[in-house]
Amino acid sequence: MSDYIILVKQVPDVSQITDNAFDPETGTLVRARLASVINELDAQALAFARYMKMISGDANARLVALTMGPPMADDVLRYSLARAADQVVLLTDRALGGADTVATANPLAYAIRRITSELLQCGDDYLVVSGMQSVDGDTAQVPAQIAEELKLPCIAYVTGAEYKSNRFEFTRIISGGSQTVAAKKLPAVVTVAKYEYPLFASFAGTRWATKAPMVKWGADDIKAPMIGAKGSKTAVIRVFPPGKSTRKGKQVGDAGELARIIVESFKKGDSHAAAATKKEDGKYLLPQRRTNVFERRWEGTAKEQEDYNLLAKVLKDLNITDPGKIDEAAQEKILAAVGPSFQKKALEDMLAGLKATEPAFHGEVWVVAEHSDGVVHPATFELTGKARELADSLETKVGVCLAGESVSHMAKELIAAGADNVYAIEHELLKEFDPTAYRKAIADAIDKYVPQIVLYAATPQGRMLAPMVSYRTGCGLTADCTGLDIRDSTRKGEIGLLLQTRPALGGNVMATIRTKGSKSQMATARPGVMKRLPADPARKGKIIKHEVELTEDDVRLEIIRTELGHGQVNLHADAIVSGGKGMQSRDNYEKLVGELTSALSRKLGTQVERGASRAAVEQGFIGRIHQVGQTGTSVGPKLYVALGISGAIQHMIGVANTETIVAINSDPNAPIFKQCDYYVIGVVEEVVPKLVAALKV
Amino acid sequence: MANYSEYGKVSVLVVGAGPAGLSTAMQLKVLKPEIDICVIDKALDLGNHNLSGAVLEKEPLATLLDAAKPGWRDTDEAKLVLANVIDKDDIMFLPGPHGAIEIFPMIKMARGMGLGFGQMIHHGDYSVSISRLTKWLGGIARGMGIEVLTGFAADHVVFDGAAAVGVKLVDQGVNKEGHKQPNYVEGETIQARFTVLAEGCDGLVTERFVEKAGLKRESPQLFSLGVKELIKVTPEQYNKFTRGRVVHAMGYPIWTPVRGPGMFGGGIVYAGEQDHLAVGMIVGLDWKYHDFNTQDALVRFKEHKFVKQFIEGGTVVEAGAKMIPEGGWRAVPRDPQTQSIGKGNVMILGDSAGFVNMLKIKGLHNAIDSGIQAAKAVAASLDNPNAAAEKYTANVEQSNIAREMKLAQNFRQTVAKFGPLQGMPLSVLGSWLPKFHVEKDYEMMTTASYRLKPDMTFDKDTFTAVAATAHREEQPTHLKITDPAICLEKCLPVFNAPCVAFCPAGVYETIHGQPKPANPSNCLHCKTCQRKCPYDNIRWTAPEGGGGPRYKRM
Repeated sequence: MSDYIILVKQVPDVSQITDNAFDPETGTLVRARLASVINELDAQALAFARYMKMISGDANARLVALTMGPPMADDVLRYSLARAADQVVLLTDRALGGADTVATANPLAYAIRRITSELLQCGDDYLVVSGMQSVDGDTAQVPAQIAEELKLPCIAYVTGAEYKSNRFEFTRIISGGSQTVAAKKLPAVVTVAKYEYPLFASFAGTRWATKAPMVKWGADDIKAPMIGAKGSKTAVIRVFPPGKSTRKGKQVGDAGELARIIVESFKKGDSHAAAATKKEDGKYLLPQRRTNVFERRWEGTAKEQEDYNLLAKVLKDLNITDPGKIDEAAQEKILAAVGPSFQKKALEDMLAGLKATEPAFHGEVWVVAEHSDGVVHPATFELTGKARELADSLETKVGVCLAGESVSHMAKELIAAGADNVYAIEHELLKEFDPTAYRKAIADAIDKYVPQIVLYAATPQGRMLAPMVSYRTGCGLTADCTGLDIRDSTRKGEIGLLLQTRPALGGNVMATIRTKGSKSQMATARPGVMKRLPADPARKGKIIKHEVELTEDDVRLEIIRTELGHGQVNLHADAIVSGGKGMQSRDNYEKLVGELTSALSRKLGTQVERGASRAAVEQGFIGRIHQVGQTGTSVGPKLYVALGISGAIQHMIGVANTETIVAINSDPNAPIFKQCDYYVIGVVEEVVPKLVAALKV
Repeated sequence: MANYSEYGKVSVLVVGAGPAGLSTAMQLKVLKPEIDICVIDKALDLGNHNLSGAVLEKEPLATLLDAAKPGWRDTDEAKLVLANVIDKDDIMFLPGPHGAIEIFPMIKMARGMGLGFGQMIHHGDYSVSISRLTKWLGGIARGMGIEVLTGFAADHVVFDGAAAVGVKLVDQGVNKEGHKQPNYVEGETIQARFTVLAEGCDGLVTERFVEKAGLKRESPQLFSLGVKELIKVTPEQYNKFTRGRVVHAMGYPIWTPVRGPGMFGGGIVYAGEQDHLAVGMIVGLDWKYHDFNTQDALVRFKEHKFVKQFIEGGTVVEAGAKMIPEGGWRAVPRDPQTQSIGKGNVMILGDSAGFVNMLKIKGLHNAIDSGIQAAKAVAASLDNPNAAAEKYTANVEQSNIAREMKLAQNFRQTVAKFGPLQGMPLSVLGSWLPKFHVEKDYEMMTTASYRLKPDMTFDKDTFTAVAATAHREEQPTHLKITDPAICLEKCLPVFNAPCVAFCPAGVYETIHGQPKPANPSNCLHCKTCQRKCPYDNIRWTAPEGGGGPRYKRM
């Protein structure tokens, strides 16, 4: 008899976000203006847990829903009770507020320990089931970190389950395909990427749910060591509205016109990506490299920067050149000169901070490489490009951590792409990607060499591995970064920090985050955002072998089957034609995407690849390897044509780096129309043949 | 999972968490605090399916709340919901696209002479958002210990022999092809000793009950369709209009004396919350133009010089559509033997019964009043539930509802019979008029065209987007065409499928030559289609609970 603990989270209903839901000044969400709902994927996880109970034929299995949040989060527990849960636990306490993912995972893991030992008394016979990620955070870190705290295997991105010979076999999404795996033994953590049958409430269940008992625990009831803002390893330093999309969002009347626009913009290459990434205020320099000791251009926030600019000007006017020699009288003079906006204490802090020249972190800038079938993942090269830039600023080396059964042959290409040192960890038990074994190997190397920065690609694999490694090594982690910059926080005497900028709330706000209380600063970066360097085969670098001890016990998953898409698929082509659910059928997809692909290929004289939304893949229109989006492949072609794709955020994130996006959809309210450059409202079966004909002219 | 089959039973089940249903529950809780009452609604949240002008007479609400929530006047919610007290009452006649003639003095004079349409005075009433009113009342009800559950759609009253024993809910988790999904939940049957039908206009459960229980209407129910937009305007425009003002306009663009068109109804402009004005158009469903769409008339109304000054440059922030039952007292469904409004332990309230006073063009106060009367009837019939409907009817007959509904009982039928030009003046004779036989709305359709159709097609997609309507896409369509052949062979050649034009949500489209409900997930639950299809060939059924519009300030 297995029991199930389902993690549910209350989130703002981002589907209802309107422009006035945000404070125009700060970009923060005015939560009161949005309804709160259960995180959609957690609702799916609850249904999936009930489905698992059903297929295992175990009528006595118990379902316990667990959430952490303010008292009003009991709504999601009532939701769970009305549909499937037998018991619920609410973890609520002011001391738990303001937590990052580590300080969320830690108390949840402690609560799970207490649930299994006291409420359920089920020993090791349980599964933790949760949604893959939440819509407000989008990090996918908490379940993996819970697994790490509880020392359990984590099976992420699950889309299906079968019960065979007394155990579950899970189907899950991996890059370019799917995989069937089983946990060698329980307990295990399962995260659900898609289960399309969320449960309906029954009338009687809903009434019962309002009266059913609810276990409420505070911080003292679980005694977790890492809670609240204090226990967090990251801190948000700034939240701001995302730059206005530079997408044109222009409606085009007919297919002939669209054909002309497609050809023109492809040739011109009017680059959305270039426009979005152009801002650059000079390469970061360590303080001792700066010509002026008072120069503080690289402060964490714009406000700090302004303050330092003003201070620098005043110091110059007063002819002060050495911050060490400012006495009380000079300080009074400065205070009078800067005006009323400076407090005395702030000025003291700033002047003291100016003496700091030593970076807050030391060590190399690392990239954790991803590879399959002996080939390095393209996202890894984007990271070595970024790492090179960061390391040059910090005057340190780029290290690449490369783990696998036999990996040394890939080192040369990594060195050509910017690496100085390649740390090769080779072990026969690293043959297949098992997060438990990999995180042990990589954390071991990090503990030994202590890099100051560790970057991972935000691929399905990286998003699984990074939270486990960071939790194990006691470091903060920021997920899905689109900006990584070195900045100072002079006032606190901190030099050379990695500021990590990421979109949150489904891309509706941007947040800049820093690491704290950690020996290394860790981040995953979105594929397709950072730029890879041109390969330089003449570059020199070292291969450093790192030995780890692994035993069979470190491999916690049994990989039963891996199915990668057939044939060569090149989603790095210059143009991609993708089909979505709106294609209606496999035949339609074949015909319309096929015809448009070949027509474009001929007209533009370039390779045009076929892509698909997750919905289209789920419907069986085409293989998983063609899937574009957050859980598929992130692409950045010159031209992306979306046919019958509604434009869910997960999909649009995966095409953000595209130069020109064209959409055809029959639903005039399709969100994609706001996020593309050109669109036609119409049924694909009618518009595409006309477009194909126009392209042939 | 816990065994909670006991939770499928309830003493009093109210179908519909609108003003009528919530009033029943609240008043009953005051009279009998120990009784268990459950109110269900198909909307996702309280107030989401409530749309009205709305002008609300003070008395019934005050009676209800004085009993249910002493001190209610001083609450923040009361101050928010009831912020607008009407101090300026404009009744205009619009002869064309520019002119406007104030006829309020005539109405006032009529009132002085004791004539029927003298009742159309709103001074001192509240102008409210009914969505907000409902949400507020629902919160009070919950605070009193009443179970108010949203997201549950009722399908029909369940009988055991001749006795009504409860209500069956809609099945959930069926896919488009009609197959059961893994998450299928069969609609539960809620067992109830008393059933209160307060679903609003043209209620699904109500109409099925009327048929099954053999209730009859002396005169057929007549309907209007109201479409309404909430527009964010500038502070200058809002202040120019003023918070306490309501405007009712007759004439253009739905009725002009010589060239037509000749439709019953009119436009409204009410003040909403700060810097928001509600603009609406209400048109009797007995229109004869096959290509008419109420939203087209709304567009013309908004373009009218008088209206335009207040809303020009504004943004539509919310919108919706709903029908109004206008048949009046003679169209109330009754048991032929006992004359009860309902039967046995089942009562019909508010708009479901048709308590809209067409002389006042108000029904909200009667809906609340009918809730109070139903509660009293239930409280007095606890030992004999089958006496409830008759007691309720007796209460209604003695209440203000009957008094004012009788005064207005011939007005709408007279207009329907003679048209606005002759009908309106004739109606001055009020209750002395004989009963005129009228046809059902759908039988009035002709091949004539609406003369004032705007050049631009109305943007129904944006309209439904701001109505925030949504349904689970993978469910069978809840709009049923009884016989598709009729659409193809009769309707299309003669009338060119009027549903495509009149549906305010753009649900209907002609695809490959066949008119069909192509976009059921856009449906606003107004049900105009089942009352205006010229061949009576469409049936509206309830989709899964939680679907439909999500009005917040309508």
